[in-house]
Amino acid sequence: MLNIIKLAFLFVLATVFHWALASLFARWGISVNMMLVFVTAFCALFKLPLAYSAAFVCGLFLDFFGAKLFGNNAFTFTVCACIVCNVAARFDFDEFFPQTVAVFGLTWLAGILNTLLIYLFASANAWPGFLSLLGGSLVDGFCAPMVFLLVRRIMGNSSLIRQV
Amino acid sequence: MHTSKHVTSFKRYTGHYRRRYLLPIGFLLVSFLLMILPLSGFIASVKAVLAYVFIPQIRAAHSTVEYATGVSQTVQQLLNTHRENEQLTQEIQTARLLAAQANDVFAENERLTRLLQLKKNYPWKGVWAKVAYREPTQWNTVILDKGTADGIAPRSAVLGIYHRQEGLVGVVVEVTDNTSKVLLLRDEDFSAAVRLEHSGAEGLLTGMGLRALQVKYIPLLTQIELGDKVFTSASSSVFPAGILVGQVSGVEENTSFQTSLTVEVTPQIQLSAIREVFVLTQEK
Repeated sequence: MLNIIKLAFLFVLATVFHWALASLFARWGISVNMMLVFVTAFCALFKLPLAYSAAFVCGLFLDFFGAKLFGNNAFTFTVCACIVCNVAARFDFDEFFPQTVAVFGLTWLAGILNTLLIYLFASANAWPGFLSLLGGSLVDGFCAPMVFLLVRRIMGNSSLIRQV
Repeated sequence: MHTSKHVTSFKRYTGHYRRRYLLPIGFLLVSFLLMILPLSGFIASVKAVLAYVFIPQIRAAHSTVEYATGVSQTVQQLLNTHRENEQLTQEIQTARLLAAQANDVFAENERLTRLLQLKKNYPWKGVWAKVAYREPTQWNTVILDKGTADGIAPRSAVLGIYHRQEGLVGVVVEVTDNTSKVLLLRDEDFSAAVRLEHSGAEGLLTGMGLRALQVKYIPLLTQIELGDKVFTSASSSVFPAGILVGQVSGVEENTSFQTSLTVEVTPQIQLSAIREVFVLTQEK
C-alpha cells in the first residue's frame, strides 16, 4: 500500500514538474520534457515490469493532453524504457554523469521519434527545432541527477526497486 | 530431480523472457494501435475527465512557474531594499546628530532673527539685555544685566516683545557699568507723551500701579474707540516716536467741569513676564 502511495506521489510530482518547467522554458522556446526524465529514472531504478508499465502510463498520460496524435508518447516512452532497461546493467546510474548523458540522449531520441510518428500518422510537422531540442535536452540532463535522487529518496528501500 | 530442476529453470527463463521482451512489445503494440485506430470520441471523453482531475496539478505547476519567474525580480528588489535600508539607516543616524545640533542653532537663530527684525523695522540702535533681578519690594522696577559698558545710558527707552509685537516696557533710571535699573511703565512715577492711533490726539501716559495705565489730557471732543492703539509721541523728550505702548481698554466717564478726557490703556507687554528686553542706546 505504501509503495502505491509513493508511486502515486511520484507520478503527481512528475506531472507538476513537467508542466511547471515546460511552461517556464517555453518562454525562451525550449522544449523541456521532464516526464521523460522521470521515466528514465523509473526505468533505471524500478524492476522491469513496473518500469515498462510506468513508462507506458506516463506516455499515455501525456498523450491525453496532446492534440495531434494519440499514442505517440506512449510508444516513444516505451522505446526509451526498453533502451534504459537494457543498458541499466552496463550503466552506473548511481553517478551523475551517466544519468545526465542518458537523459540528454533520450531527449533527442524522443524528440526525433515523436516528430517521425506525428509526421507518419498525423501528417503534421511537430519538429520543435534544433536549438529548442538542444536546450531542452540540456535542461533535462541538468535536472536528471536531481530527479534520480528524488525518486531514490522517495522510494527508499522499497521492494519495487531493482536489486543490482 | 533433474526434471524438476529443468522445470524450475524453464519457468524462470519464461518469466524473464516475458518481463524483458513480451511486456515492452505488448506496450509498443498497444501504442501503435492507439495511433492508428479511430478513437477520437473515446479519447476526447477521457481527456475531459483527466483535465478535470488534473486541474489542481496544472494550477500548482502554473503557480510554481509564476513564482519562479518572479524570483529573480523579487531577489533584486530585496537586494535593492537592503542597500537602501543601509543607506537610510546611516542617513537617519546622521540626521539625528544634525537634529541635536540644530536645536541649539535654531534657538540661537530665533533670537538673532528677532533682534534683526527689530533693528530692521525701527531705526534705533540698542542692545539686548536679560532681566537679571527683580526686587521683591519693588515690583515696578527690574535690574538688567547690561550697563554703561554696553552703551546704556540713563533715560534710555526699554522695549520688549510679546507675541512678535514690540512694545514699551519702561525707562532706564539708574545705570552702573554692568547693570541698569528699569522703571516699568506701570509705576506711578512713570510718564510719557503718547498719541492715539486713529484720532492722533496726544496725552500723557502715567502708571497706576496694579491698575491699567492712564492717558490724561486728551482733548474733550476726541473720538476714541476701544482697542485703539497708543504709541509714543514725537513730542516726548525721552522716547522715540512710534513705540507701541498698548491698547485703549476704557474711557473715563464725563464729570462736571471736565476739561479733558482720560482713557485707560492695557500695556502691550506683559510686564510681569518679561525676561529679555531691548534697550535703545542712541537714535539714528
